[in-house]
Amino acid sequence: MDVQAETPPVRQGVPTKVAILGAGRGGTALLDLLHQINTIEVVGIADRDPRAPGLQRARELNIQVALHAGDLIANHGVNLIMDVTGDPEMEQYIRARKRPDAEVLTGSASRVLWELVRYEAKLQAELFHAEKLAGIGSFAAGIAHDINNPLQLILGLAENLMDERDPDLVRAQARDIAEAVKRTSAICRDLTTYSRRATSLQPVTIPVNGKLDEALKIARYALSFHDVTVVKRYDAGPVVTGNPDELLHVFVNLITNAVQAMDRGGTLTLATSATDSAVLVTVSDTGRGIPPDSLPRIFDPFYTTKPPGKGTGLGLYNVKAVVNMMHGTIQVDTRVGEGSSFTITFPNSATAEKRP
Amino acid sequence: MEFKSDLFFGASTGNGRVLVVDDEPDIRKVVGMTLKKAGYDVLEAENGERAIEIINTGENRMMLDVVICDIRMPKINGIEAIAYFRSQYPRVPVIVLTGFPDTDMATSMLREGVVDYLVKPVEGEKLKAAVVRAMEQREIAHL
Repeated sequence: MDVQAETPPVRQGVPTKVAILGAGRGGTALLDLLHQINTIEVVGIADRDPRAPGLQRARELNIQVALHAGDLIANHGVNLIMDVTGDPEMEQYIRARKRPDAEVLTGSASRVLWELVRYEAKLQAELFHAEKLAGIGSFAAGIAHDINNPLQLILGLAENLMDERDPDLVRAQARDIAEAVKRTSAICRDLTTYSRRATSLQPVTIPVNGKLDEALKIARYALSFHDVTVVKRYDAGPVVTGNPDELLHVFVNLITNAVQAMDRGGTLTLATSATDSAVLVTVSDTGRGIPPDSLPRIFDPFYTTKPPGKGTGLGLYNVKAVVNMMHGTIQVDTRVGEGSSFTITFPNSATAEKRP
Repeated sequence: MEFKSDLFFGASTGNGRVLVVDDEPDIRKVVGMTLKKAGYDVLEAENGERAIEIINTGENRMMLDVVICDIRMPKINGIEAIAYFRSQYPRVPVIVLTGFPDTDMATSMLREGVVDYLVKPVEGEKLKAAVVRAMEQREIAHL
Protein backbone atom coordinates (compact mmCIF):
# COMPACT_ATOMS: atom_id res chain seq x y z
CA MET A 1 0.00 0.00 0.00
CA ASP A 2 1.23 3.45 -0.88
CA VAL A 3 0.89 5.65 2.16
CA GLN A 4 1.21 9.38 2.11
CA ALA A 5 1.51 11.46 5.21
CA GLU A 6 1.67 15.21 5.57
CA THR A 7 1.66 14.87 9.39
CA PRO A 8 -2.01 14.01 9.66
CA PRO A 9 -3.59 15.91 12.52
CA VAL A 10 -4.52 13.87 15.55
CA ARG A 11 -7.40 16.00 16.80
CA GLN A 12 -9.29 15.20 19.91
CA GLY A 13 -12.52 17.10 20.37
CA VAL A 14 -13.13 20.38 18.64
CA PRO A 15 -10.14 22.57 17.92
CA THR A 16 -9.97 26.13 19.21
CA LYS A 17 -10.53 28.48 16.29
CA VAL A 18 -8.11 31.37 16.42
CA ALA A 19 -7.92 34.59 14.41
CA ILE A 20 -4.67 36.55 14.46
CA LEU A 21 -4.78 40.32 13.99
CA GLY A 22 -1.48 41.82 12.96
CA ALA A 23 0.86 40.06 10.54
CA GLY A 24 4.15 41.71 11.48
CA ARG A 25 6.89 39.87 13.33
CA GLY A 26 4.67 39.03 16.30
CA GLY A 27 1.78 37.79 14.19
CA THR A 28 4.06 35.72 11.98
CA ALA A 29 5.73 34.06 14.95
CA LEU A 30 2.32 33.29 16.48
CA LEU A 31 1.12 31.86 13.19
CA ASP A 32 4.22 29.69 12.86
CA LEU A 33 3.74 28.32 16.34
CA LEU A 34 -0.03 27.91 16.48
CA HIS A 35 -0.48 26.21 13.12
CA GLN A 36 1.74 23.38 14.37
CA ILE A 37 -0.52 22.67 17.33
CA ASN A 38 -3.15 20.06 16.59
CA THR A 39 -5.78 21.39 18.98
CA ILE A 40 -5.68 24.85 17.43
CA GLU A 41 -7.04 25.86 14.06
CA VAL A 42 -5.85 29.21 12.78
CA VAL A 43 -8.83 30.38 10.72
CA GLY A 44 -7.13 33.47 9.39
CA ILE A 45 -4.76 36.37 9.84
CA ALA A 46 -5.41 40.03 9.09
CA ASP A 47 -3.25 43.08 8.50
CA ARG A 48 -4.04 46.28 6.71
CA ASP A 49 -0.59 46.23 5.10
CA PRO A 50 -0.87 43.79 2.17
CA ARG A 51 2.91 43.25 2.25
CA ALA A 52 3.02 42.19 5.90
CA PRO A 53 5.23 39.06 6.21
CA GLY A 54 2.61 37.06 8.09
CA LEU A 55 0.17 37.31 5.18
CA GLN A 56 2.66 35.75 2.78
CA ARG A 57 3.38 33.00 5.33
CA ALA A 58 -0.36 32.36 5.74
CA ARG A 59 -0.81 31.96 1.97
CA GLU A 60 1.94 29.34 1.97
CA LEU A 61 0.15 27.48 4.73
CA ASN A 62 -3.23 27.80 2.97
CA ILE A 63 -4.57 29.92 5.80
CA GLN A 64 -7.06 32.65 5.03
CA VAL A 65 -5.69 36.17 4.67
CA ALA A 66 -7.67 39.36 5.26
CA LEU A 67 -6.90 43.03 4.93
CA HIS A 68 -9.77 44.00 7.26
CA ALA A 69 -9.96 42.60 10.78
CA GLY A 70 -13.75 42.88 10.69
CA ASP A 71 -14.13 40.25 7.96
CA LEU A 72 -12.22 37.77 10.00
CA ILE A 73 -13.50 38.19 13.53
CA ALA A 74 -17.18 38.31 12.68
CA ASN A 75 -17.18 35.00 10.86
CA HIS A 76 -15.78 31.49 10.83
CA GLY A 77 -16.91 30.65 14.37
CA VAL A 78 -13.80 32.24 15.88
CA ASN A 79 -13.34 31.28 19.57
CA LEU A 80 -10.25 33.36 20.29
CA ILE A 81 -9.02 36.60 18.78
CA MET A 82 -5.35 37.36 19.25
CA ASP A 83 -4.55 40.98 18.66
CA VAL A 84 -0.87 41.71 18.21
CA THR A 85 -1.30 44.95 16.26
CA GLY A 86 -0.30 47.07 19.25
CA ASP A 87 -2.99 49.49 18.08
CA PRO A 88 -5.07 50.80 21.05
CA GLU A 89 -8.06 51.51 18.81
CA MET A 90 -8.14 47.94 17.62
CA GLU A 91 -9.34 46.70 20.98
CA GLN A 92 -12.50 48.82 20.82
CA TYR A 93 -13.05 47.80 17.24
CA ILE A 94 -12.82 44.09 18.10
CA ARG A 95 -15.18 44.33 21.04
CA ALA A 96 -17.74 46.01 18.81
CA ARG A 97 -17.51 43.46 16.01
CA LYS A 98 -16.78 40.08 17.58
CA ARG A 99 -19.25 37.32 18.32
CA PRO A 100 -20.36 37.51 21.95
CA ASP A 101 -18.80 34.21 23.00
CA ALA A 102 -15.40 34.87 21.39
CA GLU A 103 -12.55 35.68 23.74
CA VAL A 104 -10.03 38.41 23.05
CA LEU A 105 -6.36 38.54 23.88
CA THR A 106 -5.00 42.04 23.47
CA GLY A 107 -2.83 44.76 24.96
CA SER A 108 -0.33 43.61 27.59
CA ALA A 109 -1.74 40.06 27.64
CA SER A 110 -0.86 39.63 23.99
CA ARG A 111 2.51 41.24 24.68
CA VAL A 112 3.23 38.54 27.30
CA LEU A 113 2.11 35.89 24.84
CA TRP A 114 4.47 37.28 22.23
CA GLU A 115 7.31 37.05 24.75
CA LEU A 116 6.39 33.41 25.42
CA VAL A 117 6.40 32.65 21.73
CA ARG A 118 9.82 34.22 21.40
CA TYR A 119 11.02 32.18 24.35
CA GLU A 120 9.63 29.04 22.74
CA ALA A 121 11.54 29.85 19.57
CA LYS A 122 14.71 30.09 21.64
CA LEU A 123 14.01 26.71 23.24
CA GLN A 124 13.38 25.27 19.80
CA ALA A 125 16.82 26.48 18.70
CA GLU A 126 18.39 24.89 21.79
CA LEU A 127 16.60 21.63 21.14
CA PHE A 128 17.78 21.70 17.56
CA HIS A 129 21.38 22.12 18.66
CA ALA A 130 21.07 19.44 21.36
CA GLU A 131 19.73 16.93 18.87
CA LYS A 132 22.57 17.70 16.48
CA LEU A 133 25.17 17.18 19.20
CA ALA A 134 23.50 13.94 20.32
CA GLY A 135 23.69 12.75 16.73
CA ILE A 136 27.38 13.53 16.55
CA GLY A 137 27.92 10.96 19.31
CA SER A 138 26.94 8.28 16.81
CA PHE A 139 29.63 9.62 14.47
CA ALA A 140 32.33 8.25 16.78
CA ALA A 141 32.72 4.92 14.97
CA GLY A 142 32.78 6.54 11.55
CA ILE A 143 35.21 9.23 12.58
CA ALA A 144 37.52 6.72 14.27
CA HIS A 145 37.49 4.65 11.09
CA ASP A 146 38.13 7.64 8.83
CA ILE A 147 40.91 9.05 10.98
CA ASN A 148 42.65 5.86 12.07
CA ASN A 149 42.95 4.46 8.55
CA PRO A 150 45.04 7.38 7.26
CA LEU A 151 46.95 7.35 10.56
CA GLN A 152 47.84 3.69 9.95
CA LEU A 153 49.09 4.64 6.50
CA ILE A 154 51.11 7.56 7.87
CA LEU A 155 52.66 5.43 10.62
CA GLY A 156 53.46 2.52 8.31
CA LEU A 157 55.03 4.72 5.66
CA ALA A 158 57.02 6.73 8.21
CA GLU A 159 58.39 3.51 9.72
CA ASN A 160 59.33 2.31 6.26
CA LEU A 161 61.01 5.60 5.37
CA MET A 162 63.48 5.17 8.25
CA ASP A 163 65.40 2.63 6.18
CA GLU A 164 64.11 3.21 2.65
CA ARG A 165 67.04 3.80 0.29
CA ASP A 166 65.33 4.26 -3.06
CA PRO A 167 64.98 8.05 -3.53
CA ASP A 168 61.95 7.66 -5.81
CA LEU A 169 60.15 5.59 -3.18
CA VAL A 170 61.10 8.05 -0.46
CA ARG A 171 59.56 10.90 -2.46
CA ALA A 172 56.43 8.91 -3.31
CA GLN A 173 55.86 7.79 0.27
CA ALA A 174 56.49 11.26 1.70
CA ARG A 175 53.87 12.56 -0.74
CA ASP A 176 51.43 9.84 0.38
CA ILE A 177 51.96 10.89 3.98
CA ALA A 178 51.26 14.54 3.18
CA GLU A 179 48.07 13.57 1.31
CA ALA A 180 46.91 11.40 4.21
CA VAL A 181 47.45 14.26 6.66
CA LYS A 182 45.37 16.57 4.46
CA ARG A 183 42.54 14.03 4.27
CA THR A 184 42.56 13.61 8.04
CA SER A 185 42.46 17.32 8.76
CA ALA A 186 39.59 17.77 6.27
CA ILE A 187 37.49 15.43 8.43
CA CYS A 188 38.01 17.62 11.48
CA ARG A 189 37.22 20.75 9.48
CA ASP A 190 33.96 19.33 8.09
CA LEU A 191 32.78 18.19 11.49
CA THR A 192 33.66 21.43 13.23
CA THR A 193 31.61 23.32 10.66
CA TYR A 194 28.73 20.94 11.14
CA SER A 195 28.71 20.92 14.94
CA ARG A 196 28.76 24.67 15.41
CA ARG A 197 25.63 26.39 16.63
CA ALA A 198 23.38 27.40 13.75
CA THR A 199 23.93 31.11 13.36
CA SER A 200 20.79 33.21 13.51
CA LEU A 201 21.83 35.48 10.68
CA GLN A 202 19.41 36.86 8.14
CA PRO A 203 18.25 34.17 5.71
CA VAL A 204 20.55 33.83 2.73
CA THR A 205 20.31 32.23 -0.69
CA ILE A 206 21.52 28.63 -0.56
CA PRO A 207 22.40 26.53 -3.61
CA VAL A 208 20.58 23.28 -2.89
CA ASN A 209 22.77 20.84 -4.82
CA GLY A 210 25.95 21.97 -3.07
CA LYS A 211 24.27 21.71 0.33
CA LEU A 212 23.11 18.14 -0.44
CA ASP A 213 26.65 17.17 -1.45
CA GLU A 214 28.00 18.65 1.77
CA ALA A 215 25.41 16.72 3.80
CA LEU A 216 26.33 13.50 2.00
CA LYS A 217 29.96 14.00 3.02
CA ILE A 218 28.98 14.56 6.67
CA ALA A 219 26.63 11.56 6.67
CA ARG A 220 29.45 9.34 5.44
CA TYR A 221 31.24 10.01 8.72
CA ALA A 222 28.14 9.06 10.66
CA LEU A 223 27.55 5.68 9.11
CA SER A 224 28.82 3.04 6.85
CA PHE A 225 27.67 3.49 3.23
CA HIS A 226 28.90 0.01 2.37
CA ASP A 227 26.71 -1.56 -0.29
CA VAL A 228 24.73 1.68 -0.67
CA THR A 229 24.77 3.12 -4.17
CA VAL A 230 24.32 6.88 -4.28
CA VAL A 231 22.44 8.29 -7.26
CA LYS A 232 22.19 12.04 -7.80
CA ARG A 233 19.52 13.51 -10.02
CA TYR A 234 20.09 17.23 -9.79
CA ASP A 235 18.44 19.99 -11.78
CA ALA A 236 20.91 22.75 -12.55
CA GLY A 237 21.22 25.43 -9.90
CA PRO A 238 18.07 25.50 -7.72
CA VAL A 239 18.34 27.89 -4.75
CA VAL A 240 16.30 28.34 -1.59
CA THR A 241 16.30 30.97 1.14
CA GLY A 242 17.12 30.18 4.75
CA ASN A 243 19.85 29.35 7.23
CA PRO A 244 22.53 27.23 5.54
CA ASP A 245 23.59 25.46 8.77
CA GLU A 246 20.02 24.43 9.50
CA LEU A 247 19.40 23.24 5.96
CA LEU A 248 22.61 21.20 6.10
CA HIS A 249 21.34 19.53 9.25
CA VAL A 250 17.98 18.77 7.60
CA PHE A 251 19.73 17.05 4.71
CA VAL A 252 22.14 15.14 6.99
CA ASN A 253 19.16 13.89 8.98
CA LEU A 254 17.24 12.69 5.94
CA ILE A 255 20.30 11.05 4.39
CA THR A 256 21.32 9.23 7.59
CA ASN A 257 17.74 8.01 8.09
CA ALA A 258 17.66 6.75 4.51
CA VAL A 259 20.96 4.88 4.84
CA GLN A 260 19.97 3.43 8.21
CA ALA A 261 16.80 2.07 6.62
CA MET A 262 18.96 0.03 4.22
CA ASP A 263 20.85 -2.40 6.51
CA ARG A 264 21.42 -4.78 3.63
CA GLY A 265 22.42 -2.14 1.10
CA GLY A 266 20.39 -0.43 -1.57
CA THR A 267 20.15 2.82 -3.47
CA LEU A 268 20.11 6.30 -1.99
CA THR A 269 18.71 8.79 -4.48
CA LEU A 270 19.15 12.53 -4.04
CA ALA A 271 17.05 14.56 -6.44
CA THR A 272 16.41 18.25 -6.91
CA SER A 273 14.12 20.01 -9.32
CA ALA A 274 12.72 23.48 -9.77
CA THR A 275 9.51 24.87 -11.14
CA ASP A 276 8.55 28.54 -11.33
CA SER A 277 7.02 28.45 -7.91
CA ALA A 278 8.82 25.68 -6.04
CA VAL A 279 12.09 23.89 -5.44
CA LEU A 280 11.71 20.19 -4.72
CA VAL A 281 14.31 18.13 -2.88
CA THR A 282 13.79 14.38 -2.63
CA VAL A 283 15.78 11.92 -0.53
CA SER A 284 14.78 8.33 -1.32
CA ASP A 285 15.93 4.94 -0.17
CA THR A 286 15.19 1.35 -1.11
CA GLY A 287 15.09 0.28 2.51
CA ARG A 288 12.58 -1.29 4.81
CA GLY A 289 9.93 1.46 4.64
CA ILE A 290 7.86 2.91 7.46
CA PRO A 291 5.12 0.72 8.98
CA PRO A 292 1.63 2.27 8.78
CA ASP A 293 1.29 2.47 12.58
CA SER A 294 4.49 4.54 12.88
CA LEU A 295 3.78 6.79 9.93
CA PRO A 296 1.44 9.31 11.61
CA ARG A 297 3.99 9.85 14.38
CA ILE A 298 7.30 10.18 12.59
CA PHE A 299 7.39 13.98 12.89
CA ASP A 300 6.34 13.97 16.55
CA PRO A 301 8.96 15.07 19.08
CA PHE A 302 10.64 12.23 21.01
CA TYR A 303 9.08 9.55 18.81
CA THR A 304 11.71 6.97 17.93
CA THR A 305 11.76 3.35 16.84
CA LYS A 306 15.45 3.03 17.67
CA PRO A 307 16.61 1.22 20.81
CA PRO A 308 17.03 3.37 23.95
CA GLY A 309 20.10 5.56 23.73
CA LYS A 310 20.33 5.28 19.95
CA GLY A 311 17.92 7.93 18.80
CA THR A 312 16.65 11.15 20.32
CA GLY A 313 13.34 11.07 18.46
CA LEU A 314 14.00 14.67 17.51
CA GLY A 315 15.50 14.22 14.05
CA LEU A 316 12.42 14.45 11.85
CA TYR A 317 10.75 16.80 14.31
CA ASN A 318 13.59 19.27 13.78
CA VAL A 319 13.60 18.61 10.04
CA LYS A 320 9.96 19.61 9.84
CA ALA A 321 10.47 22.65 12.08
CA VAL A 322 13.30 23.95 9.88
CA VAL A 323 11.40 23.23 6.68
CA ASN A 324 8.34 25.07 7.99
CA MET A 325 10.51 27.96 9.09
CA MET A 326 11.80 28.15 5.53
CA HIS A 327 8.18 28.28 4.37
CA GLY A 328 8.35 24.80 2.96
CA THR A 329 6.48 21.55 3.45
CA ILE A 330 7.65 17.96 3.81
CA GLN A 331 5.90 14.86 2.57
CA VAL A 332 6.72 11.17 2.77
CA ASP A 333 5.86 8.32 0.44
CA THR A 334 6.65 4.91 1.83
CA ARG A 335 6.08 1.26 1.08
CA VAL A 336 6.98 -1.37 3.63
CA GLY A 337 9.79 -3.51 2.26
CA GLU A 338 10.41 -1.24 -0.72
CA GLY A 339 11.60 2.05 0.67
CA SER A 340 10.74 5.61 1.59
CA SER A 341 10.95 8.90 -0.16
CA PHE A 342 10.94 12.27 1.62
CA THR A 343 10.11 15.26 -0.54
CA ILE A 344 10.61 18.82 0.66
CA THR A 345 8.88 21.58 -1.28
CA PHE A 346 10.38 25.03 -0.82
CA PRO A 347 9.18 28.27 -2.37
CA ASN A 348 11.48 29.04 -5.31
CA SER A 349 13.70 31.92 -4.15
CA ALA A 350 15.21 32.49 -7.57
CA THR A 351 11.87 33.20 -9.22
CA ALA A 352 10.41 34.91 -6.15
CA GLU A 353 13.12 37.54 -6.34
CA LYS A 354 12.36 38.23 -9.98
CA ARG A 355 8.69 38.86 -9.25
CA PRO A 356 7.72 42.53 -8.94
CA MET B 1 49.71 -32.49 11.59
CA GLU B 2 50.89 -29.12 10.29
CA PHE B 3 53.32 -28.29 7.54
CA LYS B 4 55.07 -24.99 7.62
CA SER B 5 54.58 -23.26 4.32
CA ASP B 6 58.30 -22.55 3.92
CA LEU B 7 58.92 -26.27 3.61
CA PHE B 8 57.07 -26.03 0.32
CA PHE B 9 57.72 -22.46 -0.72
CA GLY B 10 61.06 -21.78 0.87
CA ALA B 11 62.19 -19.72 -2.08
CA SER B 12 59.29 -17.25 -2.13
CA THR B 13 58.68 -16.72 1.55
CA GLY B 14 60.34 -16.86 4.88
CA ASN B 15 58.03 -16.96 7.80
CA GLY B 16 54.59 -17.84 6.54
CA ARG B 17 51.55 -16.71 4.59
CA VAL B 18 49.29 -13.92 5.86
CA LEU B 19 45.96 -12.82 4.43
CA VAL B 20 45.23 -9.11 4.99
CA VAL B 21 41.51 -8.31 4.75
CA ASP B 22 40.67 -4.58 4.64
CA ASP B 23 38.51 -2.44 2.37
CA GLU B 24 41.06 0.37 2.39
CA PRO B 25 43.76 -0.13 -0.28
CA ASP B 26 46.05 2.11 1.80
CA ILE B 27 45.86 -0.26 4.74
CA ARG B 28 46.45 -3.36 2.62
CA LYS B 29 49.41 -1.62 1.04
CA VAL B 30 51.08 -0.48 4.22
CA VAL B 31 50.36 -3.61 6.30
CA GLY B 32 51.47 -5.71 3.34
CA MET B 33 54.66 -3.69 3.05
CA THR B 34 55.53 -4.18 6.74
CA LEU B 35 54.90 -7.93 6.62
CA LYS B 36 56.66 -8.51 3.30
CA LYS B 37 59.77 -6.77 4.65
CA ALA B 38 59.61 -9.19 7.58
CA GLY B 39 59.66 -12.10 5.18
CA TYR B 40 55.98 -13.03 5.04
CA ASP B 41 54.09 -13.99 1.93
CA VAL B 42 51.11 -11.61 1.87
CA LEU B 43 47.71 -12.07 0.23
CA GLU B 44 45.11 -9.30 0.13
CA ALA B 45 41.31 -9.20 0.15
CA GLU B 46 39.14 -6.07 -0.02
CA ASN B 47 36.15 -7.57 1.78
CA GLY B 48 34.94 -10.67 3.62
CA GLU B 49 33.52 -12.27 0.51
CA ARG B 50 36.84 -12.06 -1.32
CA ALA B 51 38.67 -13.29 1.80
CA ILE B 52 36.50 -16.42 1.92
CA GLU B 53 37.16 -17.01 -1.79
CA ILE B 54 40.89 -16.71 -1.23
CA ILE B 55 41.04 -19.03 1.76
CA ASN B 56 39.12 -21.62 -0.26
CA THR B 57 41.46 -21.39 -3.24
CA GLY B 58 43.95 -24.18 -3.95
CA GLU B 59 46.85 -24.44 -1.58
CA ASN B 60 45.59 -21.60 0.64
CA ARG B 61 43.31 -24.14 2.31
CA MET B 62 46.47 -25.66 3.75
CA MET B 63 49.03 -22.91 3.51
CA LEU B 64 47.42 -19.91 5.09
CA ASP B 65 49.04 -19.18 8.45
CA VAL B 66 47.34 -16.05 9.78
CA VAL B 67 44.39 -13.83 8.82
CA ILE B 68 44.46 -10.11 9.70
CA CYS B 69 40.92 -8.82 9.37
CA ASP B 70 39.15 -5.43 9.55
CA ILE B 71 35.59 -5.22 10.96
CA ARG B 72 33.83 -2.50 8.96
CA MET B 73 33.79 -3.71 5.36
CA PRO B 74 31.33 -3.96 2.48
CA LYS B 75 29.66 -7.19 1.29
CA ILE B 76 30.54 -9.70 3.98
CA ASN B 77 31.82 -7.69 6.95
CA GLY B 78 34.59 -8.65 9.35
CA ILE B 79 32.33 -10.22 11.96
CA GLU B 80 30.68 -12.52 9.42
CA ALA B 81 33.98 -13.37 7.75
CA ILE B 82 35.64 -14.16 11.08
CA ALA B 83 32.73 -16.40 12.08
CA TYR B 84 33.28 -18.29 8.81
CA PHE B 85 37.04 -18.65 9.34
CA ARG B 86 36.54 -19.84 12.90
CA SER B 87 34.04 -22.51 11.90
CA GLN B 88 35.62 -23.69 8.63
CA TYR B 89 39.32 -23.12 9.34
CA PRO B 90 39.68 -23.25 13.14
CA ARG B 91 43.43 -23.91 12.83
CA VAL B 92 44.04 -20.49 11.19
CA PRO B 93 44.49 -17.78 13.83
CA VAL B 94 42.67 -14.50 13.21
CA ILE B 95 43.91 -11.06 14.28
CA VAL B 96 41.44 -8.17 14.20
CA LEU B 97 42.86 -4.86 12.96
CA THR B 98 40.21 -2.17 13.26
CA GLY B 99 39.91 1.60 13.21
CA PHE B 100 37.43 1.66 16.03
CA PRO B 101 38.50 1.01 19.63
CA ASP B 102 35.43 -0.76 21.05
CA THR B 103 35.90 -2.85 24.20
CA ASP B 104 32.56 -4.66 23.83
CA MET B 105 33.48 -5.65 20.30
CA ALA B 106 36.98 -6.68 21.38
CA THR B 107 35.60 -8.88 24.17
CA SER B 108 33.10 -10.61 21.94
CA MET B 109 35.68 -11.14 19.19
CA LEU B 110 38.19 -12.64 21.61
CA ARG B 111 35.41 -14.91 22.85
CA GLU B 112 34.88 -15.98 19.25
CA GLY B 113 38.47 -17.21 19.25
CA VAL B 114 40.21 -14.23 17.72
CA VAL B 115 43.79 -14.25 19.00
CA ASP B 116 44.40 -10.49 19.04
CA TYR B 117 42.45 -7.26 18.71
CA LEU B 118 44.59 -4.41 17.40
CA VAL B 119 43.43 -0.83 16.95
CA LYS B 120 44.79 1.26 14.11
CA PRO B 121 47.23 2.89 13.96
CA VAL B 122 49.43 0.03 15.09
CA GLU B 123 53.23 0.12 14.95
CA GLY B 124 54.97 -2.29 12.61
CA GLU B 125 56.79 -3.97 15.50
CA LYS B 126 53.55 -4.63 17.38
CA LEU B 127 51.88 -5.95 14.27
CA LYS B 128 54.75 -8.34 13.55
CA ALA B 129 54.84 -9.44 17.19
CA ALA B 130 51.10 -10.18 17.02
CA VAL B 131 51.60 -12.29 13.89
CA VAL B 132 54.49 -14.21 15.48
CA ARG B 133 52.40 -14.77 18.61
CA ALA B 134 49.43 -15.97 16.56
CA MET B 135 51.58 -18.47 14.72
CA GLU B 136 53.11 -19.75 17.96
CA GLN B 137 49.66 -20.26 19.46
CA ARG B 138 48.66 -22.19 16.39
CA GLU B 139 51.74 -24.41 16.70
CA ILE B 140 51.01 -25.07 20.38
CA ALA B 141 47.39 -25.84 19.70
CA HIS B 142 48.41 -28.49 17.17
CA LEU B 143 51.25 -30.14 19.01
